[in-house]
Amino acid sequence: MFVLGFLARRLVQGIVIIFLVSFLIFTLLRVVPGDPARLIVGGMAPDEVVVQKAEELGLNDPIPVQYVRYLGGLLQGDLGNSFIRPKSGASFGGSAYDDPTRGERAAVLDLILDHLPLTLQLAALAIVFCLIISLPLGIAGGLNPGRWQDRLAFFSGSLFVSVPNFWLGIVLTLFFSVQLGWLPAIGYKGFIYTVLPALVLAIEIAPFVIRTLTVSLAQVMQEEFIAIAPIRGLPAWRTVTAHALRNASVPVMNLFGIQLGTLLGGVLVVEYIFDYPGLGLLTINAVLQRDFPLIQGIAICISAIFVLINIVVDLAATAVDPRLEY
Amino acid sequence: MGLLSSTPGRSDALPDTRAELSPTQRMLRLAWSRTSFKVGFFVFATLLLLALVYPEVSGVDPTKMNYRARLMPPIFFGEWTWAFPLGTDQLGRDVFTRCLVGLRYSVLIGGTTVILMFVVGCGLGLVSGFKGGWTDTVIMRLTDAQLSIPMIILAIAILGVSRPTVPAIILVLGLSGWPLYARVARSVTLSERGKEYVRGERVLGASDWRIMLLFVAPAVLPPIAFVAVLDVARMMIFESILGFLGLGVQPPTPTFGNIIADGRKYLINAWWIATMPGLFLLVTLTSLNLMGAALEAARNRVLKGSA
Repeated sequence: MFVLGFLARRLVQGIVIIFLVSFLIFTLLRVVPGDPARLIVGGMAPDEVVVQKAEELGLNDPIPVQYVRYLGGLLQGDLGNSFIRPKSGASFGGSAYDDPTRGERAAVLDLILDHLPLTLQLAALAIVFCLIISLPLGIAGGLNPGRWQDRLAFFSGSLFVSVPNFWLGIVLTLFFSVQLGWLPAIGYKGFIYTVLPALVLAIEIAPFVIRTLTVSLAQVMQEEFIAIAPIRGLPAWRTVTAHALRNASVPVMNLFGIQLGTLLGGVLVVEYIFDYPGLGLLTINAVLQRDFPLIQGIAICISAIFVLINIVVDLAATAVDPRLEY
Repeated sequence: MGLLSSTPGRSDALPDTRAELSPTQRMLRLAWSRTSFKVGFFVFATLLLLALVYPEVSGVDPTKMNYRARLMPPIFFGEWTWAFPLGTDQLGRDVFTRCLVGLRYSVLIGGTTVILMFVVGCGLGLVSGFKGGWTDTVIMRLTDAQLSIPMIILAIAILGVSRPTVPAIILVLGLSGWPLYARVARSVTLSERGKEYVRGERVLGASDWRIMLLFVAPAVLPPIAFVAVLDVARMMIFESILGFLGLGVQPPTPTFGNIIADGRKYLINAWWIATMPGLFLLVTLTSLNLMGAALEAARNRVLKGSA
C-alpha cells in the first residue's frame, strides 16, 4: 500500500513537471529567433509562400492558442507531425521550395520510437562500462582513506572530469579504428558500433561515481556497526560487501538520478561525433532545422524518462535501505 | 588566483570572532596544504601567463598562414622543430600559439559565465531564503523549471540561428547554471536567518537589505565561491563543445572547439592538429579541477568541523 501511495504521488508530480517542460519549451522555441516557415520552404522561396506556409501550420496564432491546440493533441497521445521529415525517413531543408519528393510528414511519436532503442542501448552499455571503471577505483579509495588508493581515486576523478568528450571520441577513433582497426567508429550497422560511443560516455560519468562512492564508503566505514562486525565473527570481505557497500550504494543510485542531465548532454555530443543514429542526433538535427513539433516531442519524452528513472531510483534505494522513507 | 590576496580584508565582517582565523582563511590554508592544490595552481598559473604573454612576445600570428611550414609534426615526432612545439596545421599556422589564444577565450568565457551565474544565482537565492513567503515560492519554482530544461538543447537553439558572439555565449551558458547556486545560497541563508546576530541587527533597526548585503552575504557566499572553481572548468568544456559544434566564437579566431573540429578533417594525415589542442585543454582543465576539488574538500571539512 505504501508503494502504491508513493507511486501515485510521484506520478502526479511527474505529470506536473512534464506539463511545465512542455509549456516552457513551447514558449521558448517561439521566442527564440528563427522562422520555421522560412526554413521549411527554403531560403529562395518567395515571401508569399512563406506567409502561406506559416498560415497553414498555424504559426500566426497567438502562442497561448497554439499551445492549447498542441495540448489537445498531446492528451490524445498525438505529438503532431514533423515540420521537415517525410515518412520515408530522409530529411530535407535545402533551398528549393517546390521539391516534389516531399511526401507526407512523419509522425513525431514514430520518429522518437524509431530512435529511442539505440540511445537506450548506448546508455545501458555506457553505465556498464562506467561501473567497470569506477567500482574498483571508488571501493579501493573508500576503504583506504588518506592512502595512495584514495589519492588515485581523487586524481583519476579530477582527470576524467577534465576530458572533453568530443576530443576523447576523436582520440579513441584514431587509436582503435584508424591505427588498430579493432572497432568501427562511424554510423550504426550492428552492436559493435555502440562500443566506442559508450566508452566515451562512461568516462564522462565515471568521475561522479568515483567521487561519490569514495566519500560515502569512507563515511560508512566509520560507523559503529562496521567496527563491531569482526566481533560478530564476520570476515572482512563480508563486512564490506554486505554492510558497507550496501549502504554506500544508496548515494550512488541517487547520483544517477541527478546526473541524468549530464548523461543526456553527453549523449547528444557523442551521437553527433560518431554519427550514431539515436535520439541525440535526432535532437541536434531537429533543433538546427527548427522542427518545433519534433523538439517539443523529444523534450516531453525526455522529461517523462527523467521522471520515471527518478521514481525507479527512489524505489531501488528503499529496497536496498529500508530505513529510507518515500 | 585572486582568492588568496582578496579574502583577508573581508574577514572582519564575519560573525565568528572567537576563532583566530575566519572559516574562509582556514579553508584556504587547508586547501593550500594539499600537494594537488599547489600542483594545479602552478600549472594553471603558468599556462595562463603563457597565454597572456607568449603570443605577444613571440610575434607569431595565430591566423597567419605559412605554406612553407604546412603540416609540421609536434616536437619529438618526425621532422620537428622547436619553432612549432605542437606542430602546424594544414595552412601552416602554429598550433601552440592557436591553443594559447584559444585558452584566452576559454578562460574569459568560462570565468565570466561563472561570475554571472554566481551573482544571479546567489542573489536570487539570498533574497529567496531571507524573505521567504511568496517571493521564495516564485523564485524556487523558477529554478525548478529552469533546471528541467536540458541546457544543451537551449544553447543549440539560440546559438544555431544568430551568429554566436562572446556575450551571447556567456549569456546562454550562464542561463544554465544559476539555479544550482540559487538553491545552495537559499539553503544556507535559511539556516543563517534565525541566528542571533541577524536578530540583533533587526533590533538595532537595520533594514532587510542592509542585513542581507552587509552581514549574511559575507558569511554565506565565500564557501559557495570555493565550489565555483569547479564550475569554471565545466563551463570551459561547454564552451569547447559549442565551438566544436560550430556554435562558439567563430573562425578565424582560434578556440579549442573550432581548432579540433577543423583538425578532425586531417586526422589520418596529421593527427596532431585535432589531438594536441585537446591535450592542451585537458592539462589546463585538470589543473583547474585539482584546485577546485582541493578547495571543495577543504570547505567540507571546515564546515563540518565548525557545525
